[in-house]
Amino acid sequence: MVAFLCRWCAGAGADLAGTSRLQYPPNAIPIRVNCSGRVEPSWVVDALRSGADGVLIGGCHPGDCHYVVGNYKARRRVYLLRKVLEELGVEPERVRLEWVSATEGARFARVMTEFVKELRRLGPLQGNGQG
Amino acid sequence: MYWTGSCGGCDVSFLELGAALLDVLSKVEIVFWPALVDAKRADVEALPAGAIDVALINGTLRTEENREMAELLREKSKLIVAYGACAHLGGIPGLANLSQREEILAAVFGDGFRPTPPPGGSPEDAPPELLAEALPLSAAVRVDYVVPGCPPPPGLISRAFDALLGELPPTGHVFAPEKALCEECPRTKEERRLTQVVRPHEVLPDPEKCLLDQGMICLGPVTRGGCDAACPKAGMPCTGCLGPTPNAGDQGLAMLSALASLVRAGEEGEAAFASEDKVLDAIVDPVGTFHKYALPATWRVPSPLRGGGSGRGGRP
Ligand code: SF4
Ligand code: SF4
Repeated sequence: MVAFLCRWCAGAGADLAGTSRLQYPPNAIPIRVNCSGRVEPSWVVDALRSGADGVLIGGCHPGDCHYVVGNYKARRRVYLLRKVLEELGVEPERVRLEWVSATEGARFARVMTEFVKELRRLGPLQGNGQG
Repeated sequence: MYWTGSCGGCDVSFLELGAALLDVLSKVEIVFWPALVDAKRADVEALPAGAIDVALINGTLRTEENREMAELLREKSKLIVAYGACAHLGGIPGLANLSQREEILAAVFGDGFRPTPPPGGSPEDAPPELLAEALPLSAAVRVDYVVPGCPPPPGLISRAFDALLGELPPTGHVFAPEKALCEECPRTKEERRLTQVVRPHEVLPDPEKCLLDQGMICLGPVTRGGCDAACPKAGMPCTGCLGPTPNAGDQGLAMLSALASLVRAGEEGEAAFASEDKVLDAIVDPVGTFHKYALPATWRVPSPLRGGGSGRGGRP
């Protein structure tokens, strides 16, 4: 799984989960971005093409975006991208957007645990990166 | 000139050159063109390798025979040009890849259909097998140049003939500008905010204003120019037939990204989420809208829900 984490909120939340020694599945390759609004849909698709079974985008809670509206943009993109994926036959649940603040280390750990569980239920994305 | 899985539009598109076509025809010898001259496949097979200077191939690759012909023409030609959106990117027929071959055959011919020869015919008279999926020309053979468009607009056709009859560009050249269509579109752009998404038949567009600003999904920002904005000028949004600009990458995803950025339902924020989603829900067929021409070239349609698959990898 690939996790695009904004450096202000979700990324800091991930760090907090780490420094608090919270346990969560080690399945994510984290990629730190400046803002969830910077995450291009094509990056998400590239991650799936390259072998990820799911992609998590972690941004700030509504109202907390460092760049004011980046997380709203991210939300609309994910909403549309999931529709495209669904039409193509990929389970939309493989792409997930979550709000995690810098103080929510526990929430980050919970999100990761839940998402990994969900992806295990879905099984590997067919094709195994051969696309 | 050859057509594979084509609608015939590309074959007819040359007529748009008008009188200039006579000039082109005076400089070439047509050895093979099923729509126009009576040469047969056997005549092409009889030619020595590389005997044809240029083969322009239009249409998507849809049958085994399409693929064989592409390979035959590759062997016999010095240059292969993918002519039109189907050969370039898979084209509109490529949207068939959203369904499995068996589903398509069953829907059209009924369950259990097998291609068989006509009564009394020999086995080779049977129609060719469908490929598992529609493919752009480059999936079967090396392509030297591309003339994009559905069908290619006259300006780009002459550009291609000028080059083919004169100085050749580097291999891989696409005979179309690299700049986005918006740059040649005369419509006036304002600060872009979409409060609604409409389909062309639902509105009478303002004659001056950018169509995207009016809520139509116009792929001008991510599509190559070269058509002189023929569709936007006529009040129809660009559907992307000239393919992505080199900067756009995946044309459909680039447009999806741009569009999602522009949608507003009042003040941005949690309170607006539901109404923003409603605006986006007006896009009834996202793949057909964003990837109308390029599905086979950009996506190997995955089939985790359908099982099987084409053997070319199931990933997007
Ligand atoms: S590119 Fe367009 S005009 Fe040409 S064969 Fe395909 S559908 Fe027809
Ligand atoms: S109408 Fe389309 S091509 Fe013209 S400026 Fe607007 S988005 Fe660009």
